[in-house]
Order: sequence, then structure tokens, then C-alpha cells
Amino acid sequence: MILQFVLAMIATASFAVLFCVPKDQFLFSSLTGALGWIGYLIFYGLGCGTVTASLLATFFLTIVSRFFAAIRKNPVTLYLVTSIFTLVPGAGIYYTSYYFIMDDMASFAAKGMETFKIAGAIAVGIIFGFSIPQKVFHWKAR
Amino acid sequence: MSDSKEILTLAVEIGDVLLRNGGEIYRVEDTILHILDAYGLAEYDVYVLSNGIFASANEQKEDACSIVRHVPLGDVHLGRIAAVNQLSREISAGTCSVSNAWERLNACKAIPVQSPFVQEICCGIGCACFCSIFGGGPPDAFFSFVLGFFLQYLRLHQQAHGTSKFLTNIIGSAFLTASSLTLMRLGLPVLHDKIVIGSIVPLLPGIALTTSIRDLFGGDYLSGAIHLLDALLTAMCIALGVGMVMIGYRDLMGGAILP
Repeated sequence: MILQFVLAMIATASFAVLFCVPKDQFLFSSLTGALGWIGYLIFYGLGCGTVTASLLATFFLTIVSRFFAAIRKNPVTLYLVTSIFTLVPGAGIYYTSYYFIMDDMASFAAKGMETFKIAGAIAVGIIFGFSIPQKVFHWKAR
Repeated sequence: MSDSKEILTLAVEIGDVLLRNGGEIYRVEDTILHILDAYGLAEYDVYVLSNGIFASANEQKEDACSIVRHVPLGDVHLGRIAAVNQLSREISAGTCSVSNAWERLNACKAIPVQSPFVQEICCGIGCACFCSIFGGGPPDAFFSFVLGFFLQYLRLHQQAHGTSKFLTNIIGSAFLTASSLTLMRLGLPVLHDKIVIGSIVPLLPGIALTTSIRDLFGGDYLSGAIHLLDALLTAMCIALGVGMVMIGYRDLMGGAILP
């Protein structure tokens, strides 16, 4: 679990470099990504499916980003955009096209639906995360 | 007191930088309105789309002015967004004159991107780490690093030649799949799917998806739809690139690829 956390952190940090995040925010960006991924693993381990785990992890990740944005006085985008990559269903896209090519239509439909559901879950997670009034974060920041 | 035209131009220019570098619509609109307000303009109106800004000010007065600006969808540069955010914060607080703001804005625009080599190395490291958290072993992570490095090289090369983003995504994912299948074919002990999944991450439309949801949530349906379409098309291009190579492999080499 610690190894996963560190790897997720390094992965997010190197993406933060690609998107030119200011140097003093690297730590917070990568921490957000790592927390999001660990959140996913925990929810998945608790028996949630991939879709529910993605939703809860995105929700958690959005809250963390907004919290960092409030205390560091920076746009939320800085933390949210770099860290969301741990949850975007890249594997889903790969396996969907794999099963399609292999004429395994049952698996293709299942994987395709799952990928769409995960993308939807991420959307819902972000929306829930942004539904919390801004006041809450300013109160925390103080 | 500077004239309203200059203030409006400044505000729209600041919005332009935010939009171009990946800010969301709500924030761009909000920033422009705050700046116009801070410099004492009245009766202004601003409409922002994901690829354009329309603004007008002082409509009822002598010096009425308006600006239409086309902003192409560009690359994300979060450093510029953070810097411009700081600038607009100071303008709203009234601690920054118009001429000073122009200088600061030009400094924000001049924040450089990382050098190609740094970008390639970071892309490689990121791919390697993603490969291992998605279940790849050390050899898979190593090859992901190599592929990620060359993937970023390819993307920068394509970008410099003005190739369309779709083509870059198709070629990129085809390159990754072809390379990892070659590695498998050479008999190396690798999980070819984990390598592709790890190194495909830089191509994924994570930013487009996030921005589109935030735009939709903010009530900007048109801009949200534009970004959502962008995300969907990017995902399809990736699937297309992977699929083309797999068909080629299956038909040339015969037999199924083990998952």
C-alpha cells in the first residue's frame, strides 16, 4: 500500500511537470493524486465495484483538491486535473478495443459498458465534490 | 484614468490567457467581470465559450467598445493559470495599476514550458509508475518508461509539424501497441497489456473530461459539450490506434493475442 502511494505520487508529480504546475505546488498536486488512488484501492478493497470505487475516489479527490486550493489560494484545476489521471479508465479503453478485435462480443459489451460507467462515475464524483458550498473550505482554511 | 477600451482589452487578454491554458469557463468569465469591476467600468457584459470570448463595456456611453476574440483549444499550462490567478486577485484588491497589470500579464504569458528532454523523461517516469500501479512488474515498468519517453518525443515532433491531434493520438497508441507486441514476440517476459495501459495514460482525455464536467456543472452547456466531444473523440482515436495494430498482428502473425 505504501509502495502504491509512493508510485502514484511520483506518477502524478511527473504529470504535473508535463502540465507545468508551479514548482511550489508539486507536493500538493502529487499528494492529491496519491490520495485519490489510495482512496480507490481502499474503496475497492471494501468490496465496492470498480464503478462505485471510482465514484467515491473521485469525490474524495475533488474534496482534497478544493481543500488544497483553499489553503494554497490557487485554482482547483491545478490539483484536480493532474491527479484525475490515476482514475481515468485507460485500461477500459484498451480492453474494449482488444475484445472488439478478438470478436469476443460479450466481453466487448461488458468492458465497453464498464468504461462508460467509470467515466460517468468520475463525472458524478466531480459534480458531488463541487456541490459542497465553498464556505466549508474557507472555514477549514482559516 | 485610462480609457475603457484599454481596460476592456486588458481584461479580455487576461481571460484569453486563462482560457488558452486550460481554465474553465466559469472562472474565465468571473475573472474578466472582476477586473472590469475593479477598474470602475459600468454596464459591461461578457460571454465566454471554450474557444472564444465576447465582451462589451460602457454600452450607453460615448466610449462604448466591444471585443471578439477567437481562442483555439491549446495545450494546458497550469503555471500560467496560477500566475494569472494571482494577478487578477491583486487587481481585484486594487493594488495593481493598469500599466503595471500589462507588464505582469506579459510576464505570465512568457512563463516557459519545460524543455523537450525534461518533458520526455517525466513522461517516461510517469508511464513507468502508472504501469506498476496498474499491475505491471519491474520489466514492464522499464519498457513503459522507454515507450513513454518516445511517445512524448513523438507528440512534440507532431506538435511542431502541426499534425492534427486526432492523428497524433492514433499514431501514438498504435506505436505503443506495436512496440509492446514486438517485445512480447521477441520472447521477453513482459505483460504486453500492462505496458500499453501504463504508457497510454499521457494520451488519455483526463483534462477534457474534467473540464467538460465542470463547465456543464457551471451551466455552460455549449462549452461543456465541446470538451465532452473532445474527450470522446480522443478516447475513440486511442481505441482505433490500438485496434488497427491488433488487427494487423492477428492477420499477419495468425492466432489470438493472449490477454
